[in-house]
Amino acid sequence: MLNPLRSEQEAFRFLLYVAAIVIAITAVVLIVRALT
Amino acid sequence: MEAHAAPLHTGAHVEHEHHGPPEAHRSSRVEPQLLGMLLFIISEVMVFGAFFTAYFFIRVVDGNPWPADGTELPKIIAGFNTAVLLSSSVTIHWALEGVKRGNRFALKAGMLSTFFLGATFLFVQINEYAHIGFAPSNSAQASVFYGLTGLHGAHVFIGLCLLAFVNIRAFRGHFSPEQHRGVEVPGIYWHFVDVMWVVVYTTVYLL
Repeated sequence: MLNPLRSEQEAFRFLLYVAAIVIAITAVVLIVRALT
Repeated sequence: MEAHAAPLHTGAHVEHEHHGPPEAHRSSRVEPQLLGMLLFIISEVMVFGAFFTAYFFIRVVDGNPWPADGTELPKIIAGFNTAVLLSSSVTIHWALEGVKRGNRFALKAGMLSTFFLGATFLFVQINEYAHIGFAPSNSAQASVFYGLTGLHGAHVFIGLCLLAFVNIRAFRGHFSPEQHRGVEVPGIYWHFVDVMWVVVYTTVYLL
């Protein structure tokens, strides 16, 4: 399991995951908002 | 003093070479430095959570417009700043991977560029405050904006202090493929500050 507090490597990977998820959520919200 | 110091470097006593108070007992399998940073970051998440609660109440529960009427948030400049901060995570990761492989150039160049990218972020943030056109006292939205971004800015400042120490040590020849906790632990903190900014930027500026 990914534990961002175990090592810098995992913290960095966690950052990349967070960035990817946030970009996806933001894109969905902005698209939905533009269509309604 | 000399009579005391001499046996430390000879034979069987080397493994007992320890200055200062006796070492603390450890019950955790996690190293103390990592455990300390872990507990600190957990408490930090709670602090940010309190500020996000204020944001949530003003915007979602009370249904106020965001940002307040007649004000505008500089999304593009903050977006540029986001890229600056994200790239500083890449450079600190490069520095740590470098020192693990014994590459001192990567360590020094990575740490130095991380420090300057972080300083650039803080400079742009302060410049944004100077030109944004509203004060924390103008509205609840303004209070929350300055609260969240200011809290994060304070964390960047603390991170910069840590990075300054790591830089000084790196340029003085500290750290090696075997000993690099002093880069790794501030690195975890710096990534945390970055993750927090991704969340702050998205909720405050974009959504």
